[in-house]
Amino acid sequence: MKQPAAILEPRGSIALDDYVADLGWSHDGTRLAVAGGEGKVFLLHRDGESLRARQVAEHGLGAIAVAWQPGGNVFVSSGQDSCVNLYDGDSGERRVQRRPSKQWTTALAWSPNGDRLATAAGREIVVWSAALESERTLSSLDAVVAAIAWDKPGRDLAAAINGGLVLHRLDGDVVEVRRLKWAAPCTTVAFSPNGKVVATGTQDGSVHFWYLATGRDSQMRGYPSRVAHTEWDGDGKYLATVAHDQIVVWDFRGKGPEGSRPVQLLGHTERVVGVAFQPRGGYLATIGLDWRISLWLPGKAPRALDAHLTDAEPTVLRWSPDGRFIAVGERSGRLTIFELVRLV
Amino acid sequence: MATTDRVPVTVLTGFLGSGKTTLLNRILSEQHGKRIAVIENEFGEVGVDHQLVIGAEEEIFETNNGCICCTVRGDLLRILGQLLKRRDKFDYIIVETTGMADPGPVAQTFFLDDEFKTQFVLDAIVTLVDARHIEGHLEQMNEPAEQVAFADVVLLNKTDLVSEADLERIERRIRAMNGTARIFRTRNADVPIAQVLDVGAFDLQRALAVDGSFLEPQYPFEWAGVYALSAGEHMLRSGAESHAAHDHHGHDHDHHHEHGPDCAHDHHAEHAHDHDHDHGHDHGDGLGVVLLPVAAATADGLAASIETAVRAFAEDSTAVACGGALSPGPQLFRIDAAHEGGQFHLQVPQAGAYALFFEHAPSEFNLRLEGAKPAAERRFASHHHDGEISSIGISDPRPLDPQKFNDWMSYLLKSRGEDIFRMKGVVSLQGEDRRYVFHGVHMMYDGQLERPWPAGKSRSNTLVFIGRKLDRQELEAGFHSCLA
Repeated sequence: MKQPAAILEPRGSIALDDYVADLGWSHDGTRLAVAGGEGKVFLLHRDGESLRARQVAEHGLGAIAVAWQPGGNVFVSSGQDSCVNLYDGDSGERRVQRRPSKQWTTALAWSPNGDRLATAAGREIVVWSAALESERTLSSLDAVVAAIAWDKPGRDLAAAINGGLVLHRLDGDVVEVRRLKWAAPCTTVAFSPNGKVVATGTQDGSVHFWYLATGRDSQMRGYPSRVAHTEWDGDGKYLATVAHDQIVVWDFRGKGPEGSRPVQLLGHTERVVGVAFQPRGGYLATIGLDWRISLWLPGKAPRALDAHLTDAEPTVLRWSPDGRFIAVGERSGRLTIFELVRLV
Repeated sequence: MATTDRVPVTVLTGFLGSGKTTLLNRILSEQHGKRIAVIENEFGEVGVDHQLVIGAEEEIFETNNGCICCTVRGDLLRILGQLLKRRDKFDYIIVETTGMADPGPVAQTFFLDDEFKTQFVLDAIVTLVDARHIEGHLEQMNEPAEQVAFADVVLLNKTDLVSEADLERIERRIRAMNGTARIFRTRNADVPIAQVLDVGAFDLQRALAVDGSFLEPQYPFEWAGVYALSAGEHMLRSGAESHAAHDHHGHDHDHHHEHGPDCAHDHHAEHAHDHDHDHGHDHGDGLGVVLLPVAAATADGLAASIETAVRAFAEDSTAVACGGALSPGPQLFRIDAAHEGGQFHLQVPQAGAYALFFEHAPSEFNLRLEGAKPAAERRFASHHHDGEISSIGISDPRPLDPQKFNDWMSYLLKSRGEDIFRMKGVVSLQGEDRRYVFHGVHMMYDGQLERPWPAGKSRSNTLVFIGRKLDRQELEAGFHSCLA
């Protein structure tokens, strides 16, 4: 089969004085926010291939996550000091600091239209207004939250916990809770873009998903270890799942993946630590502890279109909102921008 | 990643008030040059500014679709994962558990998957024991016994609050539950840091440390001594040396008892000990004693009489009240040793060598044969049973068949994994020059071939199982089925 040719071209790099634990793009792709594993929070401005960084805050013992407001000009960070900070996207000035819990806030998720922010710490989820002025605590969880995700309309907020997924339908002051039970520690959660399916990866090496209209559920077993990533493509056709060095893509077209053979993407030789589908496109990018940054087109080919061997351990990978660039952070503190270049 | 890059983790367990916080503060404030991260339970009290102290909300995961012994700590997975996100790692991590915690899930977290195994190495489980209260706790609940059973290191703490005899008894009891733990007696958890950190208890390259006496068969007695006795009556006494020094709590005593008029001690029903705790085992039926004539008052003479004593202990017993008499022969007596000032007459028909076997250590009752000292004595492994938790050791020089051994281990993990808390061993496999070393926590198991056996020296298998309801015969039969 002829492979659609595309490569990743480096488009600038910067060395930050911290482990890159998380990063997020601004909606226009001109800025990035970075959470450093040792605590620093950076705001990066991008101009062509030039990157300028400024430390804007420090989260005591370590920063955990950052998230840029969709369509907006603010971003948030959380850290091991248990704080959640909100920053101005131009100046980097910290506007608000909240401490929703004594536990670490490990997950940050903006609703797709950016009007609300969900944060998860321990067994609590807090849904904030966009400026972190008002809050509502969801206390329906009987286990520690491992991951949270909004559906595309921003109506349902799902939490992955030990024992399944908990869906919260937020409608004004009313919160309707729906529990999708599965007797395993669930580690990820992702709604399909069309809202029909919600998927989770589990600690015991399986992927479980539910068809929301009917409640029917399916399980895909056989992973070698914990399923650490479940990522949908922009059309909801494919679900990419990762356990250790194995990338397995399930095809949800037609009758769905039940009974079908998934596509296994072959190439990484060590644990895959980052996986992301191109927004509004079919390309998939991955990074692994084999120090490879790989580009795939899962519907077309089981082997990578392009692979970069770096000289350091990559830690996090994010596509720019327009799907043209990816940013890859490394343990060493380096952050590199790659552009997706089609060769046809 | 090379194994030397792995961050060592010590798990600190112990019941409430046993001194965990004191030990943590001591470790954190001492100049040891290590950068230590502490993950403490959410109610922890340690908060040292310059150190990293993280509060964790304990969350137990079952990892294998409902198998109750395949459990890990989900919160630790997340926290430890986060702690790795640094360019320079921590030198050491200490996980403090809640007082009631089962150490199993914490330990198993480090066996879970390759991702964790390449980053962290479980160094040791350190259990603090409050010497003053442990016996009461062992009677009332399961957790303290499980914490002792899991331990690689036991700190018998607060030793200043109990007597030497109590400490000996407690230590034997701990040893009966866990035959491999290193036991240190401490006050204020004051112990050299090297005894609790970088112990290497889960390091397959380090030798298995096993108390030699623990590998012996279990005997129904804990102590034996051999004496050269003259013909006539000898007095076996129990309790305090001086009656006058003994406080009887101001009770009025009526001496309406059956024994001799010289028995001037208290028989009030409420008074048994001068300590404010109960002994950890039942002395209600009296202490088993056997007095045997032996060939010589030597260690060899004593050793030759052990078989006879074992058989005698299996027989029906004769109760002997205070002031009563015991005579030599393969006969089990039960003496009322728990009473203060107890005295029992040994009637020796002719001069010669005699061996005394006591069910429990004589120091527990201050038992002494008046005017006589043993020419030789020997202690035996304790046989107390705490919540049916015990250690079983197997030592045998014969090589094992690799396939049979593998099959037996698989069978054990599947069938008994829930009850076996810890197992470890060094095994001699037929046709293999290297030592096979293994350890396991419940059903999680790790084993590998290690350095060669020393040339010119004999090989030997040493296996240790610690757990609940362990059946020595079953384990020995399984082991024997693996012989090459």
